[in-house]
Amino acid sequence: MTDQKRPQLISRRALLRRAGAASAAAAAGTAGVPEVAAFPMETAETTPAPTSETPQTTSPVGGHAAYEHLTAEEAELLEAIADQLIPADEVGPGALAAGAVVYIDRSLGGALADARDAYRGGLAAFDRYCRSSRGAPFRELSHVDQVSALIDVETGAATGAGTGFAGSSAAFFGMVRSHVLQGTFGDPYYGGNRDFVGWDLIKYPGVRTSVWPRLQTQLEAGDLAPNHRSAYDSENFEKAVVRATSRGTSHGD
Amino acid sequence: MSHEVNDMRTRVIRSALWTLLALFLAAPAVAQTIRHEIFVSSPTLESGETMPRVYTPDGRNLSPPITWERLPAGTRELAVVCSDFGAGNPPPWVHWIIYGIPATATGLPEELPILPDTPMPPELAGAIQGLNGWRRPYYRGPAPPAGTPHLYHFTVYALDADLGLKPGLTREKLLRAIEGHIIGQGDLVPVYERF
Repeated sequence: MTDQKRPQLISRRALLRRAGAASAAAAAGTAGVPEVAAFPMETAETTPAPTSETPQTTSPVGGHAAYEHLTAEEAELLEAIADQLIPADEVGPGALAAGAVVYIDRSLGGALADARDAYRGGLAAFDRYCRSSRGAPFRELSHVDQVSALIDVETGAATGAGTGFAGSSAAFFGMVRSHVLQGTFGDPYYGGNRDFVGWDLIKYPGVRTSVWPRLQTQLEAGDLAPNHRSAYDSENFEKAVVRATSRGTSHGD
Repeated sequence: MSHEVNDMRTRVIRSALWTLLALFLAAPAVAQTIRHEIFVSSPTLESGETMPRVYTPDGRNLSPPITWERLPAGTRELAVVCSDFGAGNPPPWVHWIIYGIPATATGLPEELPILPDTPMPPELAGAIQGLNGWRRPYYRGPAPPAGTPHLYHFTVYALDADLGLKPGLTREKLLRAIEGHIIGQGDLVPVYERF
C-alpha cells in the first residue's frame, strides 16, 4: 500500500470546504459533546482541571507543546489522530502546525471541561482498540492501518474486544474531529490556529469591521491579503466568557 | 456444553430465517431468474464457517480474497456484493460493492485499497468499489452486535455486457443497473459473531 504517502480519512479539500463553518464558530461551546465513560489509561495522571474564566490568548509553545490537562500519552495519541484528520501536505500545514491539540488541551481546563472524561476514556479505549485489532499502538501502525482504525472508530465498528468505548466509538470520533476543526480554524484567541495557519489554509482574509469597494473587489478576486487579526483585536468585539461550570456560553457579540 | 451448542444452533437458524425473509423482501430487485450457478470460494473463507478476525474491525479489517470458477459463456464483466440480510433498515446492510471487474479476472485478492489514491491491482483494471452501507467506497467487515451470529453473503454476478457503470453506485442502484444482464450468480456465505 502507499505507506510513503500521507493518508487522508476525508478528502482534504472536502474537509476544508466543510471547515468554513467551523472557523466562523470560533467560540468553543460544550453543547453536544458526547458522553464517553471514563476509562483511564494506566499511565493517566489525575491532574485536576483548573477552572478558567477566559481561555489562553496565545499558545505558549514554540516547539513541542507543554500540555496542561492531557497526559503525555494522551497528547501523543491525540496529536497522531489530529495529524491524520488534517495532515500537512502540499496544500499547506495541518492540524499540528495550527496547534489544534494545544487548543483542545487548554480548552479542557475551560470551555471543554465537561469533555475531560470523554477524552480520558475515549483515548484509552482507542489505544486498547489499536493494540487488540492491529497489534500495536496507533503511532506504530502503517499509514493505511491508521486510516483503517480511524474509519472503524468513526463508523462505530470499534466496539469489540473489550476496548471500553462507552456506547458507539463514533461519538468519540465525532467529538475529536469537531474539536480538531475548532483548533485548526477557530479564532486564534482560543489557543489554536497558531499564526493563522488555518485561516491561511482556507484563504480566509480575516475579520473586518468595515469594507470599502476596493477591499470588496480584492476579496472577490481572491487578492485580499489576510490581516492576521483575531476578532478580539477589534474593540468592536468583546471577549467571550466561558465558565466550565456553566453550560451556557455568553458572547459579547 | 450441549446447551451452548443448542443456543448457537438456535441463533444460526434464526439468522437464516431472517436471511430468507430478507431475500424474499428483496426479491423484486433481483427478479431475474438465474440459471447458471458460479462456484465461489476463497482461500480463507468457507460458507458456514467463522470469518477470520483479520477481515473484521476486530482485526485489520482487510477485504478477503474471493475466487470464482465456471463463469457462463458470454460473461463480459463481473460484480461482487457483500450483504448481511440480518441487518440494515431495511435489510440488507451492505459491506462491500465492487463492479466493472474484467471477465478475465479469476477473483479478488486480499486487501483491496481503502485509500482513494491507491490503484486497483492490474488484473482488476477498471473495477470500481461502490458505496457500502456506510456510504464508503471500500470494504468494511462484519461488526454485528455481540452474541448474534450474522451471515455474510459474498455474491458474484456474471454480466453479459460491459455496462460502463459509473463510480458511486449503491447496491440498490447497482442491482437496478445490472437487471436483465445477469447470466450467472454464486454465493459464499461465511459467518461472524462477536462475543
